[in-house]
Amino acid sequence: MKFDFLKKNRKQLAGVDLNIVVVVIFLLAFGVIMIYSASSYEAMLKMGDPQFYLKRQVRNVIVAIVAMVIFSRMDYHLWVKFSIGAYIAAIVTVGLVVTPLGFEVNGARRWINLGPISFQPAEIAKIAVILGTALMITRMKKEEIETPLGMLKVMTPAGIMAVAVFLLTSNASSAFIIGMIAVVMLFVACKNYRFFVLGALAVIIMGALLVYLIHTQSIPAMSFRFSRINAWLNPEADAKGYGFQTLQSLYSIGSGGLWGKGLGQSMQKLGIIPEAQNDMIFSIICEELGFFGAVVVLSMFMFLLWRCLLVAQNAPDIYGSLITVGVLAHISLQVIMNVAVVTNTMPNTGVTLPFISYGGTSVVFLLIEIGMILNISGRIVFE
Amino acid sequence: MQKKLVVLSFLVMAAFVLLAVRLFFIFRDNGQRYKKQVYSQQSYDSTSLPFKRGDIVDRKGSKLAYSEKVYNLIIDSKLLMSDEGIHLEPTLNAVRKYFKSVDTAALREYAEKNPSSQYRVFAKKLPYDDIQAYLEFEEENRSEEDENRVAGVWFEEDYKREYPYGSLACDLLGFTQGENSGYFGLEEYYNSVLNGTNGRRYGYLTEDSVVEQTIKPATDGNTIVSTIDTNIQSIVEKHLLKFSEAHKNEAREGNGANNIGCIIMDPNTGEVLAMASYPSFDLSNPRDLSPFYSEEEIGGMDEEEKLEALNRVWRNFCISDTYEPGSTAKPFTVASAIEDGAIRGDESYNCNGALEVGEHVIHCHNRLGDGTLTVSQGIQKSCNVVLMNVAFALGKDRWLKYNRAFNFGLKTNIDLSGEVNASSLVFNEKMGQTDLAVGSFGQGFNVTMIQMASAYCSLINGGYYYQPHVVSKIMNAEGATVEDIEPRVLKQTISNSTSSKIREMMKSVVMEGTEGTGWSARPAGYTMGGKTGTAEKIPRDKRNYVVSFCGYVPADDPKVLSYVVIDQPNVIAQDNARLATTLTMDIMTEVLPYMNIFMTEELTDDERAELEEMQMDFSLDAETVKEQSDEAEGAEGAEGEAAEGEGAAEGESNSPDEADAPAGGDDLETTTVEMIGAGEGANEEGTEGGIRYDEATGYPIDPNTGQVLDPETLLPIEGSTSFMD
Repeated sequence: MKFDFLKKNRKQLAGVDLNIVVVVIFLLAFGVIMIYSASSYEAMLKMGDPQFYLKRQVRNVIVAIVAMVIFSRMDYHLWVKFSIGAYIAAIVTVGLVVTPLGFEVNGARRWINLGPISFQPAEIAKIAVILGTALMITRMKKEEIETPLGMLKVMTPAGIMAVAVFLLTSNASSAFIIGMIAVVMLFVACKNYRFFVLGALAVIIMGALLVYLIHTQSIPAMSFRFSRINAWLNPEADAKGYGFQTLQSLYSIGSGGLWGKGLGQSMQKLGIIPEAQNDMIFSIICEELGFFGAVVVLSMFMFLLWRCLLVAQNAPDIYGSLITVGVLAHISLQVIMNVAVVTNTMPNTGVTLPFISYGGTSVVFLLIEIGMILNISGRIVFE
Repeated sequence: MQKKLVVLSFLVMAAFVLLAVRLFFIFRDNGQRYKKQVYSQQSYDSTSLPFKRGDIVDRKGSKLAYSEKVYNLIIDSKLLMSDEGIHLEPTLNAVRKYFKSVDTAALREYAEKNPSSQYRVFAKKLPYDDIQAYLEFEEENRSEEDENRVAGVWFEEDYKREYPYGSLACDLLGFTQGENSGYFGLEEYYNSVLNGTNGRRYGYLTEDSVVEQTIKPATDGNTIVSTIDTNIQSIVEKHLLKFSEAHKNEAREGNGANNIGCIIMDPNTGEVLAMASYPSFDLSNPRDLSPFYSEEEIGGMDEEEKLEALNRVWRNFCISDTYEPGSTAKPFTVASAIEDGAIRGDESYNCNGALEVGEHVIHCHNRLGDGTLTVSQGIQKSCNVVLMNVAFALGKDRWLKYNRAFNFGLKTNIDLSGEVNASSLVFNEKMGQTDLAVGSFGQGFNVTMIQMASAYCSLINGGYYYQPHVVSKIMNAEGATVEDIEPRVLKQTISNSTSSKIREMMKSVVMEGTEGTGWSARPAGYTMGGKTGTAEKIPRDKRNYVVSFCGYVPADDPKVLSYVVIDQPNVIAQDNARLATTLTMDIMTEVLPYMNIFMTEELTDDERAELEEMQMDFSLDAETVKEQSDEAEGAEGAEGEAAEGEGAAEGESNSPDEADAPAGGDDLETTTVEMIGAGEGANEEGTEGGIRYDEATGYPIDPNTGQVLDPETLLPIEGSTSFMD
């Protein structure tokens, strides 16, 4: 594959993939606008300031862009040394959630507060797992990685982290994403298909079986635990409870139609969908900008992921390639899961839409990851 | 690795495409439905604004029932628990301090368990004073530090039905449930008139999708002006209670009688001035059975029995219960015969104590017989034999015709809920000679009190049958008249001359020394006509009686009619009409002076002494009543003043009814003349349904003190003087 623009720019910073920069900036700007649109009504009511969330997100984005620039200028090989440290630090911060430093937001204890800054350790955990797994795979022999034991070894850091996140912050979706990032990285790193196909089939069959059992209420004693799954199967049956958010999000999407009601015209954000600027922002996008707007946003993500793929394919070494794959996996998993939840394609779980949903930790660490990819892209050497 | 990356990218792209397809199907398949759903959810923001149910006022404007604005305390847990719950403690403390009735422990539990709930009523019907204190506190509190600030408490308006006189006229007024559904009496009959329409406050989206708020105000209900006079009503109820207390547990366990009813009417309009029965119940707490049953008895009842017992308490004896009228029906038989021409009225019949009719021997009250009696004497002494002969002269067909003319067997259609239909309890064409014989003196058919009282009015007022009514006017919430309910003459039952003959006969029942059966009903100083009744109840051998007396004053030109019925008096010998006559006397002795009907007869020394003694009692009573219901207009004072007989002429000449008060008395003529003057004067200066209004301010004037009253609170406005002074 030819990368003319990269050939011309031998210098590190000039060599970064500007396509990625442009699309990320576009997504961030679009996100800020949508956050303002989605949150202004509630912010006015609750905070007395319609720009409350807008201002904070602009601040978050500026910090994140600075972080991205810094990381894009730091040689990614540096992270080889820091991988283990970062991994341990991530585990510790996850553990801090259960200490007095941790605090609850909306009934979930997933945050820690360090004086002036507060953040979600799960986001750090993701980046730590990307770096850790990349290092693990790089250090392994090619043959070893094809063996089940080797695969297990690759999965170990991600597995421990996922379990920690799940147990300590009871955040199942983040734990799942952490695990899946490592699975994707492993999938790309090895030649094996069999294990993955079989694994996927096993997961699909077991999941289908579980859903079937819940749906037919074959395990009545447990059925209340699976309210979310029941709400997913039939959101209208539980329209005031678990099905509420999903149903309201479907109403938004459906009422938006092909072209949407126009920017700022969402009615669902007027007190119906609570905190529309968070996980449910995609439904507001659909309502205001319609199917067309949603497809444009998805296309931007596809373009970004395609650029990441090119970087991964052309990275100067396996390590850089794997980091890129990890980031790619992280972003695509979150986008897919977020949109799937909003469209009730999967049971409701709290996953934010990368670059667009409101939230400081998420955007800062995502842009750090993007910064790393930019650095890798700048080091691509062409023969 | 390159290959794997391509596979991965395919998987990701496939997922994206699938999601886009999913999005497409959502809006294509359900778009229209969801769009409607989204719009319909917007109306969630609309709130209902309650209307105010109309008042029920008496003929003088005293409020018998009104709805007061109250407030419900609402908890918004979401706000209360916001900012990590730092507002919870200060809010709970404030609620504890200002609203003693609120269980703060329950509130805390609720807020902690339902942190997302935004609407929960925690206290109902709080008076404005309570919430005002809280609102003031909240205002000050706003500037406090975050951790001391209260949050999540707000109030919504509602109305509460109040009955300032407690149990007064309970059967007649009826009560409300859920504040706006009337049960029994006026509250039920005029339910739709009293109720208004709820308003609505709703948000809607303009074309620019901006939420705008619109308020459609509530339409308050209409006020009904009753013909009831609170003072007469309370006089009547006082004496019913007194009677019941006096005979309590006398012959058997229980009240002074199974039921005691009394109706006071204006015979010239059909207006009911008072209607009461004993026992009564507390209108503010109609479901309380404790005054009637012991705790164990109530505990032993199931829901159905409880409801049955309550219905017994709630029903209005005067319109819902039927009984055989007995001798009080005799004047109707005589009037029918005279009107029909069957007798002239001066015939005589011999009574030897009984008359053989078919196979039955029907006895007179006086089994020894009174010898030869004129028709008039037959009425005076309540002789069954005379009456049977009169009825035979008339014949059963015509007797039946007149019986129907007097509306027996038909509802009177009085404007009260719960009037019973007694059409199956009267004679029809199949009646035989024996039926006619007993029917002539009021046995064998059933009537209600209101039927009797209304028929009596026509009997004595020249034959005009007025539809009895309790409401004279309907006003809207602003005080403008919506409907005037004029007296309605339904028919002429008898001619004027027959009516005057009957009046003469009935006068002889009361006025001829102790000759007549009703002499003890006469209030000292007045002429009265009337008729006693002692009807044996079925089964006849139980010796249970309904004793009654229907009387009117003055005897020649009736201004007021009183009908008293005592169902099974709690005495050893129940067949004693004196129970009813003396009760009538007690009531009328107080009611007549209050109504400015003046004494026309000389008082004997005994009577004078007795009256003076009574007056002491009245004024004492009046004071206690006054203390009991300060909230009310304060018109009770009239009772005390009015009781002083002549003194009554001084200040109470306000009602237009009393403008025609000159009752033809000789010894009080001068006072009477003055009265006319005062009455007309009052008319010129603007009277409206018995309430006088100050010309300058348009505010009502207390008929007793002459002070200008605040139209809202009905409390005297300080500093203002009335033109009467």
